Amino acid sequence: MTQATDMRPSVPMDADIIIVGCGPAGMTAAIELAEANRSVIVLDMQPTPGGQIFRNLEDNISQQSSDRQALLAALGPAYRAGADLIRRFRASSRIDYRPLTTVWEVRPDGTVGWLRGMDAGYLRATTVILAHGAMERPVPFPGWTLPGVMTAGSVQTLLKAGNLKPTGNVVLAGTGPLLLLLATQLHKLGVKPTLIARTDRFSDGLRAMRYLRRNGLLPVVKGLGWLAQLKRSGVRMTSGVSDLAAEGERKVEAVSFTVKGRRVRQPCDLLVVHDGIVPAIDIPNGAGLALQWDQTNASWRPRTTSDGLASSALPPDLQPERCVVRITGDARRIGGAEATIAHGRLTAQAILAELRKGDGISSKSQQAVDRTLSVRPFLDAAFPPGLSAKLPDDNTIVCRCEELTAGALREKIRAGFGNMDALRGETRCGMGPCQGRNCMITAARLIEEDRGACGSTPPVFRGRPPIRPLPLGALAGLTGLDPSATELLTLEDKPEHDVEATSDVPAE
Amino acid sequence: MSRQSETALIIGAGLQGCSIALFLARAGWNVTLLDKNVAGRHASSVNAGGLRMLMRDWREYPLSQRAMEHWVHLDRLVGEKAADACEVRLGVSQIGLALDEAEMSWAVGRAEDMKKRGLGEEELLSREDVRTLLPGVSENALGGLISRRDGHANPAAATRAFREAAVAAGARIVENCRVLGLERVRGGGWRAETSFGQHEGGVLINCGGAWGARVAAMAGQTLPLKTVAPSMMVTARTQPFLTPVVIGIDRPLSFKQSAVGSLVIGGGILGKPCPDQDTSFTVMDRMPQSAAATLEAFPALAHVPVLRTWTGLEGATPDGIPVIGPGQGTPDLWHVFGFCGHGFQLSPAVGEAVAKSLVSGTLEATLAPFDCGRFASRVAA
Repeated sequence: MTQATDMRPSVPMDADIIIVGCGPAGMTAAIELAEANRSVIVLDMQPTPGGQIFRNLEDNISQQSSDRQALLAALGPAYRAGADLIRRFRASSRIDYRPLTTVWEVRPDGTVGWLRGMDAGYLRATTVILAHGAMERPVPFPGWTLPGVMTAGSVQTLLKAGNLKPTGNVVLAGTGPLLLLLATQLHKLGVKPTLIARTDRFSDGLRAMRYLRRNGLLPVVKGLGWLAQLKRSGVRMTSGVSDLAAEGERKVEAVSFTVKGRRVRQPCDLLVVHDGIVPAIDIPNGAGLALQWDQTNASWRPRTTSDGLASSALPPDLQPERCVVRITGDARRIGGAEATIAHGRLTAQAILAELRKGDGISSKSQQAVDRTLSVRPFLDAAFPPGLSAKLPDDNTIVCRCEELTAGALREKIRAGFGNMDALRGETRCGMGPCQGRNCMITAARLIEEDRGACGSTPPVFRGRPPIRPLPLGALAGLTGLDPSATELLTLEDKPEHDVEATSDVPAE
Repeated sequence: MSRQSETALIIGAGLQGCSIALFLARAGWNVTLLDKNVAGRHASSVNAGGLRMLMRDWREYPLSQRAMEHWVHLDRLVGEKAADACEVRLGVSQIGLALDEAEMSWAVGRAEDMKKRGLGEEELLSREDVRTLLPGVSENALGGLISRRDGHANPAAATRAFREAAVAAGARIVENCRVLGLERVRGGGWRAETSFGQHEGGVLINCGGAWGARVAAMAGQTLPLKTVAPSMMVTARTQPFLTPVVIGIDRPLSFKQSAVGSLVIGGGILGKPCPDQDTSFTVMDRMPQSAAATLEAFPALAHVPVLRTWTGLEGATPDGIPVIGPGQGTPDLWHVFGFCGHGFQLSPAVGEAVAKSLVSGTLEATLAPFDCGRFASRVAA
């Protein structure tokens, strides 16, 4: 049987620290650690540094064309603000930056599986920082898989990375600051949304007022500015909508929803939905790290100490001596760019203290984290989960990779498949390319619905590598293997020739 | 006879347990199945679903041949609707692919050997044959062995079908019921102390799978069993190009294309078993050898992405075939486990032969090679 000691890699370390993700948190931590003479490898899926928030920033700034200038103006100062950080990141010679690199496995012992093109391998470090960010909350509703239905994040990505603007009749639906920000940006680019259908209500805003803190005023003022601007420009906005549905045959043709007890139908060419942002837990869950349930945000997040140290939830005989994974930025807790920068620095300082370098976490860093997160309670109250608040009806697709409806899952759950892995095995839910990123939360809630549970931590699929697709050719040539783990163990069932013993053939 | 005659207590409601239950219940026995999880949760429903006679140990062959008849007429066993759901595809064949001289000469010897034994389902394939049967196969393929009747089925659906048929025949399944201890009942039979009360039976049948040796130990018997975690990989969907199941001879390769187009790649690569937690983990460090074996056979697949891996827990005996039969000196305690990663296809014939043996009181001839006694000396040593 496996001993815990087997879990320690028997191969040399590739760096002091491996950072997954090159957004504001990852870049800040990398700079801080490199300045303290630590060797740092940064793995990132994107072609250039910046993460989602500063995506394609270097290119957009360097181009002088008028449409890029218009794009920069529309994206606003918060986008430009990343330029200095990216410059400092690029300037550091101790950072081994590896763009276009996908991480498909992380282990609590500091092993990271990577893929770039058709090359793949393992890297190891004394510490791993996960700064892989957030994702938009998945929202299954009738028609959500129709072409022409997109999320706010994906529309913004197309703006930043390709300067691609939507055309025609655009409707935005959902809740959260990003929805309003995107509406403002689109409007500045000459795309006036036909309608913004918000799930949050005036009463949510009122209730949120008591969470207003002095340190959190600035972002609130900024948000009110977007609202005023949209209003001045005559963008129609309605709030308190529910039961959203996208209608259409081959693509979206209209959106319908209920507001004040009335069913409203609005023709559209593009439906942009957004229901807030949640930490991306695919890597932590795949790594076997402990997750916790955030009731307010109806989402999981990794269980970490305040300086980002995660803990392994693997069975005892698979536990490494020590979990060396830290999680920072929006991957740990949603806070936006400034909060992720503050926490990235704090995490780096905590690591340096552990390595007996540096002075540990400065009070300035701690204050920066507290200050940048102080608006969260207000935002959580003002923009509660909306589109996903109610569980989908039986006809709505939950798992889009395998095209499974909520009804199909409910039927299996009622038949006794009340365990996530049993449900996955039975229905293939979560077995497609997204590996449960989109459907896991709904599948878990459907199980909770059946149990009548509330307030507990919904169950998760057991994460198994690879958590991102890995070509067979890349896998066949995997480098950086741990010899103690690669020893080929197979179930040997090739029969032996036994020509001598033909006499005792059993009779049928 | 005691009051417990014709009652069976089966521990483990996997495919073997449910199949035995089905045949015993149909013979009029009173059968109770206990499972620590849900019926079929482990190896039964998460295997690759191979219906393979190809390259079986010759001692399993007669049982395997009989099982194939059951799979062909599965509707007679489990009903038409359930049989349909099992997605049984027979006649698509399984092919053992020879990629070097050593494998090819093994295949030639194997074909002769099986012919001599009169177990001739396996035909030798030439270089040209494999090229015709397997589009895209490597230039290096020298030929191989084919078993034309072979195919595959949906293991989760099959496990459910056998379970439901057993229940319909009158068997009782108690799930989430962990056996804590076993003791003999005065006057004959066995009593199981469980997390769900006490259960009794005139005959105790240990279908504990990966946990089979632990169950045996509770009854005071020592049998050798290694818990292993065979692993598989599944790729993204590709254009349909392959009907037969392809397996390696000396390479860790087992390869088929599912109905939806994804490639299901196995070959017995082992992960980390965690039987105490009822789970197991894949070890990606070992998967390159499986990927390499696949590409050696089908070089054009290099860009097809692996989407996921999975493992399940399985029991393996020292000689690679299961134990099926009464324990040493215990005619009322049977052990049916240790299928070494290839018990799925055998299950209907195992159920039938075990039930027939118990009902008649005479061991079926097909079960002779699987006697627990073959490990007696090893255990003593």
